[in-house]
Amino acid sequence: MALNRKIAYIDLSTGKIEIRPIPIDVRRKFLGGRGLDAYLLYNHTKKGCDPLGPDNTLMVSGGILTATLASATARTHVMAKSPLGGLLGSCNMGGFFAPELAWAGFHHLVIKGKAEKPVYLWIHNGKIEIRDARGLWGKTTTETQWAIREELADEDIKSLVIGQAGENKVRIANVMTGIKNSGGRTGMGAVMGSKNLKAIAARGTMDIKIAYPKEALDYNKRFIDQITSAKVNQTQGALGTPFIWGATNSWGGVRCRNFQYNQELYCDEIEPEALDEVCAETMGPYHMAGCFGCQVHCRAKYKIPTGPYAGVYDEGPEYTSQGAFCGEPDCRSIETLLTGNHLVDQWGMDNLETGSLISWAMELYELGILTKKETDGLELTFSNDEALLEMTRRIAFREGWLGNALAEGGIIASEMIGKNSFDYLIQVKGVSNLHSDERATPALALNIATASRGSDHLRSRPAIDLYHLPVEVMRKIYSNPVPYDGPLSSEHTEYIGKPWQVFWHENCYMAVDCLGICKYHTVFLGATLPNFEDWTKVLRYNTGLEFTPREIWDIAERCNMIERLFNLREGLQREDLKKGDMLNHRYFDEPCRRGAPDVVGRVIDREKFKKMVDELYEYKGLDKNGIPKPETLKRLSLENEPAHLV
Amino acid sequence: MVDQKEGLSTAESLRKTRSYGQVRCHNPSCMGRLQPQAGVNQVKCPACGMEYRVAWIKSGFPRIRGPVWDVNQRLAEEAFERKMKEERKDGPK
Repeated sequence: MALNRKIAYIDLSTGKIEIRPIPIDVRRKFLGGRGLDAYLLYNHTKKGCDPLGPDNTLMVSGGILTATLASATARTHVMAKSPLGGLLGSCNMGGFFAPELAWAGFHHLVIKGKAEKPVYLWIHNGKIEIRDARGLWGKTTTETQWAIREELADEDIKSLVIGQAGENKVRIANVMTGIKNSGGRTGMGAVMGSKNLKAIAARGTMDIKIAYPKEALDYNKRFIDQITSAKVNQTQGALGTPFIWGATNSWGGVRCRNFQYNQELYCDEIEPEALDEVCAETMGPYHMAGCFGCQVHCRAKYKIPTGPYAGVYDEGPEYTSQGAFCGEPDCRSIETLLTGNHLVDQWGMDNLETGSLISWAMELYELGILTKKETDGLELTFSNDEALLEMTRRIAFREGWLGNALAEGGIIASEMIGKNSFDYLIQVKGVSNLHSDERATPALALNIATASRGSDHLRSRPAIDLYHLPVEVMRKIYSNPVPYDGPLSSEHTEYIGKPWQVFWHENCYMAVDCLGICKYHTVFLGATLPNFEDWTKVLRYNTGLEFTPREIWDIAERCNMIERLFNLREGLQREDLKKGDMLNHRYFDEPCRRGAPDVVGRVIDREKFKKMVDELYEYKGLDKNGIPKPETLKRLSLENEPAHLV
Repeated sequence: MVDQKEGLSTAESLRKTRSYGQVRCHNPSCMGRLQPQAGVNQVKCPACGMEYRVAWIKSGFPRIRGPVWDVNQRLAEEAFERKMKEERKDGPK
């Protein structure tokens, strides 16, 4: 059954592999996936270790529901100390790897040490082998996956891999699976590269026993109906996540020219419908694909229509590629968008970070802080498509002075560049902000400032706050499973009630990350999508474990607190601009200049922002400095940590 | 068989609030419901004057593709100028 999936401890320095069961009391405390990974990270990583050294520990996992009859349990999670910000590193991707890992017998891998030479892990029906990867080193992410399939003579093998960026320890390197499923943010690909670990390959045929199969199937039908009938998911199934960028750009909620503007004007050519036309022309009418067990199908298939890569196949691009290769650098070419998306997929690099860092460098170049001396002659101006793609390549291969500097991530690069370059770096905890502009949306600003892995939209963003939901609808969502009778506001430009919304979503998203479910199947972009109550049933029918909605909330809160404890241990301080819950000064000082009439002129009010952070800390049981109170740790049964339960 | 008597979850009970066929104006102070006529490719918000290009996910399912650039850009510039004047007069808000 799902609960008998194992945890494997793999020491790449010694070659020792130990396989253990996951005790049921650990499941009841952390479920699995990201939550259990956070616990493992906290207990198995040395305080203050070098993120790119052998003492950093890398966790790979699926959720507790992965590969069961529940919908969209494809998510693979990877966690370690981040080489970008020195705090929590974590990435989560769709595709097919985590289910294969579960069929091969495992839900969690704990990888320590460093191999002497490049290796990959081969995981097959309960067994794990460390194999020579010298022949794979230097290959792209797709080439690596096919080379492993050829070597092991099995086309159904699913692999988690790094590309050249990870090999080069580029601190914004991704872990990848499939052609475009990207474990982005926080540089987990660099951690794999630092361990000489090129790939983890899995293939399994071990049955997963479902506790109540008929009930699980019947309930899943109900679950699927709720998910596929939602407007947001029907839109995703037609246009993919680019529809989010398009809608957000429409009212002035994206970043353009680093942080100078909040809307890219006259960009019809790269709007989602234009992208969809290229996908249809190159791949035919049925060009949307899905991850394992998902009915939303938000991933577009395409071939690059023109230019030096014409005819090359890829998938996506997502919202973040639109931001990276269009909005932020102010480019409007669909060829640049599709080519840039393809290159970062192949080299295994974070599209969001790539676009953000290059756009930051473009603004520095515009200001004269960077010159042709640092760019090695490159005219690094906004709207220069060629320079954008060339700098992308230089980062992946650490070429040229600036390519190498940006490969170190924003904080180290700002120290290398010097002057006042840091003032223009739009980041939180060393992680570049999403390509969205939160000056008109205080709830979203609070989310990115306080997210555990640095500026991030997938940790606690109350995206439905943008929908102007009636208060009675909000009340129904946000008073469950924990009663809440405080204020709520339908106005997304308001500050009222937003800390509770952020707290609620933080626990909601942690819960789905523990279960292994995609966020498009919960209250992320759709107010009517499943949440805590629905998960109790999915868990019971698939695993036999009984939880109340409140118990799942408590588990999520506990797991979020473990992440907080890790960050505090590694140096988080509330108002530290590099390691704190704080935003770049431009959020407070520079008004929005574009977008809807009620968006222009907006900034985040500094005092109100501080009050929101105070209120959020109260809900989380933290003191004014963001440190958990003793009674909070006791309430969450964390007072005796680290305890090494597993 | 799942016991249908176990009732609707919060998510399921909110399903009736879905608003097929409508879009919201993108101006935060407005957010008015707009119901584009079948097949049209442009819609104007009667409340705040913003204009949008409309795309159709499928029949009966419109979405805002983007702004009518010239119109909304002019509204934005006017609003920005007015707000900056007010701020100079009254100080930052």
